[in-house]
Amino acid sequence: MRILWIKIFFLLFFVAILIRLIYWQIIKAPFLQSLAEDQHFTESQVEALRGNIYFSDYSILASSNPTFSLFGLPKTLTKDQIMTVSYILAKVLAEDNEKIDDLAKDFINKLTQDLYWVSLKKNITFEKRKEIDNLNLSGIGFDQTNSRFYPEGSSSAHLLGFVGSDAKGGTRGYFGLEGLYDGELKGVSGFIRSEKDALGLPILIGNFLNTNAKNGKDLSLNIDRSVQFIVEDALKTGIEKYGAKAASAVVMDPKTGAILALASFPNYDPLKYYNFPKEYYKNSIVADQYEPGSTFKVLVMAAALNEDLVKPDTKCDICSGPVSIGGFDIRTWDNKYRPNLTMADVIIHSDNTGMVFVGQKLGLDKFYSYLQNFGFGNSTNIDLQDESSPEIRPKSNWREIDLATASFGQGIAVTPIQMVSAVSVIANGGFLMEPHIVKAIKDERGLYEVKPKIIRQVLNKSAGDTMKEMMVAAVEEGEAKFFRIKGFKIAGKTGTAQIPVAGHYDPTKTIASFVGFAPVDDPKFVMLVRYDQPTASIFGAETAAPTFFEIAKELFSYYKIAPSE
Amino acid sequence: MTIIKKFEPEEKKPAYPKKYGALIILTLFILVTIEIWVSNTMVAYGERFENLSKLSKSLLIENQILENEIAKNASLISVASKSAQLGFSKPESIQYIR
Repeated sequence: MRILWIKIFFLLFFVAILIRLIYWQIIKAPFLQSLAEDQHFTESQVEALRGNIYFSDYSILASSNPTFSLFGLPKTLTKDQIMTVSYILAKVLAEDNEKIDDLAKDFINKLTQDLYWVSLKKNITFEKRKEIDNLNLSGIGFDQTNSRFYPEGSSSAHLLGFVGSDAKGGTRGYFGLEGLYDGELKGVSGFIRSEKDALGLPILIGNFLNTNAKNGKDLSLNIDRSVQFIVEDALKTGIEKYGAKAASAVVMDPKTGAILALASFPNYDPLKYYNFPKEYYKNSIVADQYEPGSTFKVLVMAAALNEDLVKPDTKCDICSGPVSIGGFDIRTWDNKYRPNLTMADVIIHSDNTGMVFVGQKLGLDKFYSYLQNFGFGNSTNIDLQDESSPEIRPKSNWREIDLATASFGQGIAVTPIQMVSAVSVIANGGFLMEPHIVKAIKDERGLYEVKPKIIRQVLNKSAGDTMKEMMVAAVEEGEAKFFRIKGFKIAGKTGTAQIPVAGHYDPTKTIASFVGFAPVDDPKFVMLVRYDQPTASIFGAETAAPTFFEIAKELFSYYKIAPSE
Repeated sequence: MTIIKKFEPEEKKPAYPKKYGALIILTLFILVTIEIWVSNTMVAYGERFENLSKLSKSLLIENQILENEIAKNASLISVASKSAQLGFSKPESIQYIR
């Protein structure tokens, strides 16, 4: 009987062991395995470095700057250690106006909280981090973050956009290049999983899983930093001098469509974008829609020349007084009328009635077709995020008066980038080019170059050359002749467009602009300068033109262009 | 004369001589020893690897910071400001020689 009981006892004992084994080995296996993995493996995310943005000479426009955040692990420190660590850290980290005692107390308060992890200080420099590392303090650590770095400060802010946070707390580019090329610039984060020993050191022969971080691609721009500096400097001076609400300028290579400079004011600091009103984020060169005024006349005239409907010496037979169309009287800007005005004089004197004559010669069909051919009504496809594209009314909605006013640039909306692209057609012999900011995109696999793209031929060479000469005459004999640079052949046209306010034009509020290119024989640049509501003078000839010539003068010197006359 | 040739039974040679067995055992022993030595050495290298990895990261960061420092000092804003302090100004009148 005893033997039987002993047998039963052993049987039950083995059954109990078996059940326990099943419990730990099968039922609890995944849990234990995860505990073991936590103990044996270390996992870390490797943040991808955001790509750099370079000027055309490969100097840095935007790059990444490593900064560090100091954190503490309160549960791993004793009260005495907290006191010691806090005072040592405070001595190292106290800034000029900060008292060591106050900072130490702040650290003590944070480290005595009932938490596993507390943030102690952000934006610590690499030097300070090294100093703290050398102290071998326990219970603290660093997290690395990368902020954006702009060596040229707020220069090119509208071009760049800025880097902010997305909904998940990650980084994301907004506006400009940072916005449009966010996918290319941000890269893909990596992941490292390695086996560690009791001291937390990696075991090289252990399991190791590594997904490399793929850093963001670098952008190399067509923007020439010297041209950009010259343009920004002149605009900054101009906006104050002429008391304008806003100012903008764009410089483009007419042969390739490469944007050499692009600036608008008021601008903002891309690093502290949150301190500026949201309206400042908009890049007025690509987002603003405005009536181009007289600068538009060169395009309408070029279209008529291309169609052989007029010649420079064609005389206007309706220019002896105001032109009445659909119950409206169209007048010249100075209310002076010149009978038998030639087409060259129409451009020189910026005569509205003469342009009505040209518009009538063209007719709505051809006029509308040239509008589209010059790129209006469509986006230019410039590589910036915030481009807008004002629509052209359907042809069926155009009245006679609409054609008449549009022929001298009123009643039609354009963006500055559309305008400068259209004028470059005259400069380069008749081709509409796609404007481009980015010259090349570079990653570890190689370099992808953005090639110049011809959209279409709009004018024949002869019409373009004739129009060039008419624009040269406009500079040399027109309203802005006092500001021209002697010896250089510059083509240009002033523009003063009234701003529509509540259904009518406000005569005191204008957009003053000047568009032109130089040197005429082999244009190196086409440029548009624009002031929004200048108060010193409402006219483009007295505000935008002087700034244009001031910039052009410096560009001649920069490009080593000698006078031709 | 009768020649009597004595035929003795030939000894059976083993299919694999003993020396091959010994060689295999010796090779295995050497390999196991090497494996143990490599494992121990590699484990000890973990610390060194960690330090090298930290040093590499640190140098990359330092390099980035220095690049940024150069970019800041070479920026046109900085150059313009320093050149103005040194008394340089924009050329007011440029004379071209033909």
